[in-house]
Amino acid sequence: MNVGFIGLGAMGRPMALHLQAAGHVLHVWARRLASTEGLPAVVRATPAEIGAACEVVFTMVTSSADVEAVALGEQGLIWGMAAGSVLVNCSTIAPEAARRIAGRLGEQGIDMLDAPVSGGPQGAVDATLAIMAGGEAAVLERVRPLLEKLGQRIVHVGPNGAGQVAKACNQMIMVAAIEAVAEALRLASAAGVDAGKVRQALAGGSAASRVLEVMGRRMVERDFAAGIEARLHHKDLGLVLAAARQSGVPVPLTACIAQQLNALMAMGLGKNDTAALLRVLETR
Amino acid sequence: MKIGFVGLGIMGRPMVLNLLRGGHQVTVWARRAKSMQPLLAAGAVGVASAGEVALEADLVISMVADAPDVAEVMRAVAGAATPGLVAIDMSTIAPAAARRIGEELTAAGVDFVDAPVSGGEVGAIAGTLSIMAGGSAAAFACALPAFQCLGKNIVHVGASGAGQVAKAANQIVTGMGVLALAEAMAFVSKNGVDRAKVREALLGGFASSKILENHGQRMIERNFKPGFKSWMHEKDLNIVMQTAHELGLCLPGSAVTAQMFNAMVGSGLGEEDSIAVLKLLESLSGQQ
Repeated sequence: MNVGFIGLGAMGRPMALHLQAAGHVLHVWARRLASTEGLPAVVRATPAEIGAACEVVFTMVTSSADVEAVALGEQGLIWGMAAGSVLVNCSTIAPEAARRIAGRLGEQGIDMLDAPVSGGPQGAVDATLAIMAGGEAAVLERVRPLLEKLGQRIVHVGPNGAGQVAKACNQMIMVAAIEAVAEALRLASAAGVDAGKVRQALAGGSAASRVLEVMGRRMVERDFAAGIEARLHHKDLGLVLAAARQSGVPVPLTACIAQQLNALMAMGLGKNDTAALLRVLETR
Repeated sequence: MKIGFVGLGIMGRPMVLNLLRGGHQVTVWARRAKSMQPLLAAGAVGVASAGEVALEADLVISMVADAPDVAEVMRAVAGAATPGLVAIDMSTIAPAAARRIGEELTAAGVDFVDAPVSGGEVGAIAGTLSIMAGGSAAAFACALPAFQCLGKNIVHVGASGAGQVAKAANQIVTGMGVLALAEAMAFVSKNGVDRAKVREALLGGFASSKILENHGQRMIERNFKPGFKSWMHEKDLNIVMQTAHELGLCLPGSAVTAQMFNAMVGSGLGEEDSIAVLKLLESLSGQQ
């Protein structure tokens, strides 16, 4: 199959390579041509050209505006994709934006699937991502064989936008857990106790979690190289708070943690791993 | 002076009346012609579009809901403006949006002042609004005679956008102030103590404030009629939180306060005064 991929960053690049390795012909486009270097792929001049050449196109870019530009902008996918082809958007964007883009593509008979992922760059490399799908069930079934090359857990959450709602929930829980681990380990150190031992002790009990394991280790080892860049979690919590506001649902804890992330950004740590929330707590 | 005015809501209507009382010629426009009627009876001239209020005017004032409305009005004004026109927006919008609109108007040869107000409907009727202005000194000087008909405490805070920064700061203080007072009131009555007596006792000390005095009295009377509607306070706190997000600014107290107001809107208290945050606290604590 001819498969397009736009967004060849820390997540997108390994994902694209898995698709190619599965025997598909990979077509790519990037704003900076350098990002396409060394990929076994056909490099296209515009998203529209990818759209014209492929039955399925993946996007893995940063923001709602980026997806909107790539999909609907000048020389965007919509100007190339045929009716019946599918846009699989793996980027984390606002549910409302996902619905709007799907609606616009739908007018041309083009299908869209939200497929935001969780698992980070390591999950992308290992092809063990959790994929939260939103869109029509039949569309998901058509692209499922491709998604199975990227992740192991693929859940059909609901219609367009539902995948993004699930991802927003994922980010709320995950970032809150990172802050909780950071606060606990900070307290341990301040009380003169070895944070590494505390992490080890907790790993066997009720507070055990993937965040304690992975982010906790980074904190103990003071290895703040990303992983997932904190600026992306900062962006995502902005989406969560906007969605909460739209629904009139209070999210007091998320709102507080967003402030810790604002402080992190102000400290210039946006390109650190989100484990750097620990460093915000160490500020004097 | 000849003044064009767009935005004839709860605030805009009495403001126009005060400008007329001050001897100014006022031209008005509203999307619904009906909103103009009482003002035409009071001596204002009605026109058929937002741009037309700018024709031959010395000043144009907008008092609308949100940034997109301001941008739309000001675009129409810029299209119809004569050289030397000063445009004033008295709505509460994001500082960044005000700066952007100011730049667009300046490029079109129109001077811009952002001049949001505090004081609510009562202040608008009495002509006692606090006015926080941002823009050039020359533009502020042009606007001052109009401001003097509308308000008492008129401060030129700084350059374009500075008025909105001051207003956002005002909303941080009043938003958290109302929440702090409501928490104190909930605390007092859950302890079986009389709210009115505590208010009276506190008025003499460091916790004394206009909020304790005015909002405190209304909380005791359980008079939740707006005043200042809580959905508008929520909107303004959202401007604060958006700006904090963009700038990398840690505002934990405002964040929690914004969530309380978010909950108010979500639970149907949006049309009540922002002191209705007391009702939310009471239901969370099994009171009432």
